[in-house]
Amino acid sequence: MRRTIPLAICLGMGVLMMVQFFVPHPASVAFYDLTTKWIRIVSAFALVLGVGSLILYHLDRLRRKRQGWGYSIVTMVALVVTAVIGLGWGVKPGSPLQEVLFKNMLVPLNASMFAILAFYMASAAYRAFRARTKEAALLLIAAFIVMLGMVPVGSAIWGRLPEVAEWILSVPNMAAKRAILFGVALGAIATSLKVILGIERGWLGGGKG
Amino acid sequence: MHISTDIWTWVAVILTFGIFSFLWKDNPFYKFCEHLFVGVSVGYTIALTWYNSVYPDLITPLFRQGKLLYIIPFVLGLCYFCRFIPKVSWFIRLPMGFVLGWASGVAIPAYFQTNILKQIQGTLLTPAVLARWDVFLWALISFVGVICSVLYFFFSQEHKGALKIASETGIVFLMIGFGASFGYTVMARMSLLIGRFQFLLRDWLGVIK
Amino acid sequence: MSILEKLLKIDRKIIFIVMAILVLFPLLKPLGLGVSSGPRAKAVFDAVDAIPPGEVLLISIDFDPASMPELYPMLVALMRHCFARDVKVLLCGLWITGAGLADKAVTEIPPEYGKKYGEDVVYLGWKAGVDAVILGMGENIKNVFPVDYYGHPLDSLPVMQEVTRLRDIPFMVAISAGTPGFSDWLLYAQSRYGMKVGAGVTAVSAADAYPYLQTGQLTGLLAGMKGAAEYEVLIQKNGYSKAYMPAVAAMDSQSLAHLVIIALVLIGNLAFFATRKRRR
Repeated sequence: MRRTIPLAICLGMGVLMMVQFFVPHPASVAFYDLTTKWIRIVSAFALVLGVGSLILYHLDRLRRKRQGWGYSIVTMVALVVTAVIGLGWGVKPGSPLQEVLFKNMLVPLNASMFAILAFYMASAAYRAFRARTKEAALLLIAAFIVMLGMVPVGSAIWGRLPEVAEWILSVPNMAAKRAILFGVALGAIATSLKVILGIERGWLGGGKG
Repeated sequence: MHISTDIWTWVAVILTFGIFSFLWKDNPFYKFCEHLFVGVSVGYTIALTWYNSVYPDLITPLFRQGKLLYIIPFVLGLCYFCRFIPKVSWFIRLPMGFVLGWASGVAIPAYFQTNILKQIQGTLLTPAVLARWDVFLWALISFVGVICSVLYFFFSQEHKGALKIASETGIVFLMIGFGASFGYTVMARMSLLIGRFQFLLRDWLGVIK
Repeated sequence: MSILEKLLKIDRKIIFIVMAILVLFPLLKPLGLGVSSGPRAKAVFDAVDAIPPGEVLLISIDFDPASMPELYPMLVALMRHCFARDVKVLLCGLWITGAGLADKAVTEIPPEYGKKYGEDVVYLGWKAGVDAVILGMGENIKNVFPVDYYGHPLDSLPVMQEVTRLRDIPFMVAISAGTPGFSDWLLYAQSRYGMKVGAGVTAVSAADAYPYLQTGQLTGLLAGMKGAAEYEVLIQKNGYSKAYMPAVAAMDSQSLAHLVIIALVLIGNLAFFATRKRRR
């Protein structure tokens, strides 16, 4: 029962939504409207899993006084303070959540995290990108042409370089990416079918029942 | 030069340098900023999910407008909390089955139409491509590229003979595609760094517009 | 140790410092290389230009602060283009951490053109669910967003009087930093509701968009900061804006940064192969 009911719900919803795509009858559209609303509500609750796991992890780290446990206090305090300020004072523009926490903490922290990748890219380019094989050399040549063609200095070096870069993107790159897209799409369809039919049961988790 | 006197700009600058300090080496200041980022972003997510999703989509229709049918998604959403109660943790399978079934059912026709049918249509050599010699040539190269790249991923048979030739041709296209992606990735990472520098020079130091 | 071997073992902090200097320098002293627009950005521009005045452009804010340098200038340029042509703008978002970003644009840009919130621009905000949000909007936008980001009921906003579902919108641009993003709009909005979709993406995902461009599923592409710069140049050349162009200003730094990376790869490879040959 603990596995049968969820699998039955999954099968029922999957088949109904697949069939619904092809059925324009008002009852079908009404069902589609209703389930779309419900999914948005249930999806919002899924946040509980992520937040709960994070809190449990950091509480465990604090309890066992594992290495770096002091930083867990930072995370927990930041989480609670931000949530309380947001829930208490609202999330509208002008609220403390948006004006202080979002604009002056979340934005610079998030942006800086990704900005430092530029330095590591430069370091990796110097130390690790070796044209050891013909294929690697081909990769690097294509990369150089695209890198130069997509910036103003490329057209300053050779006026037709942007056209060559655009050709690389539109023809061989497009062909390769399309092949990968086929594989991904077929994999997604196969996995979706397996989930609906109950062949893929990893999402049920382990444990008794 | 017009250094900012706004305290929150200084907070943003200090947090930016805190993240950048990782470039020198891992240090407590960086770790503090990293953990602060995790806490603030999760707290922000909680507040926004409540005000933008849960309150208008569930609380208002169910408790303020008396639409009792919303009890179903409400109960399904509450089942997520059972994850943390070992005796009833299996209840989490109910909303997961509902969401996975719905999403899988909706995805199958969408993926098929968008990523398979349309992409096959785009690959086929139709009379329209005969309009010009270069359009025909690029279409032919794309066609060959897509077929050969797809064949590279066909591992059910040993790559021998014609399959080997096709597979090696596919690798050429794939390498060019990955090279183009790498070139663009370099551009992306540099842009993020430039954005951070623009913030420091403009909003903090006031030396650029 | 030979010079080549020393080059191979160079401390990465030196590379970081060189990188920082060469990126900072053009921001302080522009090189004046100039930016020209390509066909992909022109396609987006032409599609927006073809929207009749009074109709609506939908822009989806599918990015977070990390991608702001590349994508925020696209948002601003698109809004300026629309307002200059009396096209209304409807904004929504699929990324929770992008919810606060559109507010800045919605507050700052409309007054430049004498436009008013509610009459010329509406920001719906963020909602959980991705595909459920897109599919819900396809049937009825007000079912998904009964109120806008600021709490105003949608029925009270003039922009929403003519627009009830996705089919009422002639064109949309998905400004996306990844997933969810333009591919979700193609999967659900275009396959089911026939929506015309353009995309503004980070450079990381730009190469992946080309299969959709070739089939015509995507009407144009703004790729990274260069795409944003191209659009800024287009709207200025066509007289829609005289504002400062931050993406264009950054392109000199972008050019130098790319040259540095290429130089580093070449020097690294030269030193590597030369020392390997010597050892043999």
